[in-house]
Amino acid sequence: MKIFTPDAPEYQSVDTSKLVLVQMDETISDTKFEGKPIGFFKDAAIRFCRNKGSLIAFFVILVMIILAIFGPNFNDYGYNEQNGDIKDLPPKVPGLCKIGIMDGTRWMEGRQLYYDPNTGAGIYLDETKSLDRVSEKYAGCILKVEETGEVIAGKEMCRVKIDYYKYVGLDDDTYFWFGTDYLGRDLWTRLWRGARISLIIAFVSTFANVAIGLVYGAIAGYYGGWVDMVLMRITEIIAAIPQIVIVTLFMLYFGAGLTSIIFALLIQNWIGTARMIRTQFYRYKGYEYVLAARTLGVKDFALIFKHILPNSIGPIITRAMIAIPSAIFTESFLAYLGLGVQAPDTSMGILLSDGQKSLMQYPYKVWCPAIVISLLMIAFNMLANGLRDAFDPTQRGV
Amino acid sequence: MLKYIGERLLAMFITLAIILTLVFCMIRMMPGGIYDELEDITQEQLDALYAKHNLDKPILVQFGIFIKNVVTDWDWGYSLKLQPNQTVWGILGDKIPITIYENIFSLMISIPLGIGFGILAAIKKNTWIDHVISVMVVICISVPSFVFASLLQYFIGFKLGLFPIVYEPGSTGFAMFYSMTLPIVALALNPIATITRYLRAELAETINSDFMLLARTKGLTEAQATVRHGIRNSILPILSTLVALFTNIMSGSLVIESIFSIPGMGGLMIKSINAIDYNVTQATLVFYSLISLGSILLCDLLYGVVDPRVRVGGKKE
Repeated sequence: MKIFTPDAPEYQSVDTSKLVLVQMDETISDTKFEGKPIGFFKDAAIRFCRNKGSLIAFFVILVMIILAIFGPNFNDYGYNEQNGDIKDLPPKVPGLCKIGIMDGTRWMEGRQLYYDPNTGAGIYLDETKSLDRVSEKYAGCILKVEETGEVIAGKEMCRVKIDYYKYVGLDDDTYFWFGTDYLGRDLWTRLWRGARISLIIAFVSTFANVAIGLVYGAIAGYYGGWVDMVLMRITEIIAAIPQIVIVTLFMLYFGAGLTSIIFALLIQNWIGTARMIRTQFYRYKGYEYVLAARTLGVKDFALIFKHILPNSIGPIITRAMIAIPSAIFTESFLAYLGLGVQAPDTSMGILLSDGQKSLMQYPYKVWCPAIVISLLMIAFNMLANGLRDAFDPTQRGV
Repeated sequence: MLKYIGERLLAMFITLAIILTLVFCMIRMMPGGIYDELEDITQEQLDALYAKHNLDKPILVQFGIFIKNVVTDWDWGYSLKLQPNQTVWGILGDKIPITIYENIFSLMISIPLGIGFGILAAIKKNTWIDHVISVMVVICISVPSFVFASLLQYFIGFKLGLFPIVYEPGSTGFAMFYSMTLPIVALALNPIATITRYLRAELAETINSDFMLLARTKGLTEAQATVRHGIRNSILPILSTLVALFTNIMSGSLVIESIFSIPGMGGLMIKSINAIDYNVTQATLVFYSLISLGSILLCDLLYGVVDPRVRVGGKKE
């Protein structure tokens, strides 16, 4: 850049009276920052949104929650509407049944090929093997007959594919999307009602776990000294008892039910949160800004909750997200032990353990809850990973 | 070292005593009588049953008698309802080895596999191999072991017929492990994934450290440097997760055993809980406590052996 000087030879010819100052009429002041300020949460949100996996997980969870709330109302069946005539129906979904999946058909194994009037068993009335001449029981609902070539007690055997809905005498436009269970209850309704109960258990127990752990850990970490010593010894004693033992005992003593499951989940899980918060307090309570606040006369309560605790908000949220899938897991685990929520109410674990009993005959009874619980667990774990990376980028990939 | 082990054993004994007391009292304070469903029974017979198992005495007296029998005769009482008039120790004696085999074997296959996958993922970081392993890790960590058990049982066992779908009772040797393959695999998936995840993170960090650069500079190949210097330094943190893994497998096996009808401790515990059999339930719970406490102790001791920097028995600062 060249600066004008009256003495320089090249400027001798310039008429100085014509020169004006550029910013003569403007008021000069500091300009505003371009862009917006980014706070802690905004920063985390930006990082979170960049992670495709956790974003997908977030939407999966959202869909699951919506289905858990509204899913049972999507059809007219009640969750405890029993009907012995329509038990063990296979899934049948409108639309999908046209292309041959979830069409309400079932292979029935080990049937007699020819009708035997004495026992009433068997399919074909005569040797023509035409689907028009079948025993009354199967009339109109047989789709396919496959001869297995086996002969048991002099009778030829076969397997048949039948339209099970017609077989039990239902109309063509009756649909049980996920089939029915051993009491003829609609599994779609029960599945989402079960998901609702499982999610309620998970959220409530996690909320309580964080709340207790937070206060306990904050007190231990903030005051330190003998308070910390006593509080931490108490947690060590509780943590020393294996989780299976303490949860089982708790459930046996208080009886199966929603509240006792929540308490049983709570009994040890808060300890991890408390320890984490305590460490955070040990780290931050020596900082100058805390000292400054204390010097200004801020009370302990405000120091703990307004000045130190917000530092740990990231780890707390991450921890809560990890606690939710483990609560869902423990609930199903208890259901397998026979300590789940009480019938007729249901949960993911109850559905799984009920379905497991007839896995070979009716596998769909296990797959539907298994897919939902697996999706939920994967989504929550991915969400937790994404949140941890978002709140604390230094931990990425661990 | 000996003093430290002694102290730890004493602490473990005290914890176990607390657990035993809790278990004994809480089980007996459970709501509902144990012989409620026996309807065609006279009051005298009921009283006789109660008297036989000392159930008519106050709980503390019962506890005293129980402790005396255990300490003097190793007598854990009789099964009340599950297999009436059999000693609890006799029932447990058959089941403990099966459960131990099953759990130890899943742990034994999961450690080398986990370490292998972890190393592979760390060396091939940010390639498709790493991504595939990471996805598998997330799936295996998240999906509960009993869902895997159902999948394996249905597809591998039932549809393909490769392995038996349930345990064959009374089989020994190879046949026993063959019929236990599916449950062992179902139990091992989660630990494999956990070890892989930890080792990948540790090793990926170690590979970038200065001493690894030195190792390569002095002429070691990539493989030599990784195996001799990298892995040795990143394997330690795995050790501390082993306890958690083992307790994890143990609690998983509770459900897996009932899915595959393995006559082990898990199935026994579920049956005894549902049948309200005080003596058997308390014995199984004590067994699980013992295993859990024992593995914690073992791991702490092992930690000191493997890493001399960890001073065993050193006081916390």
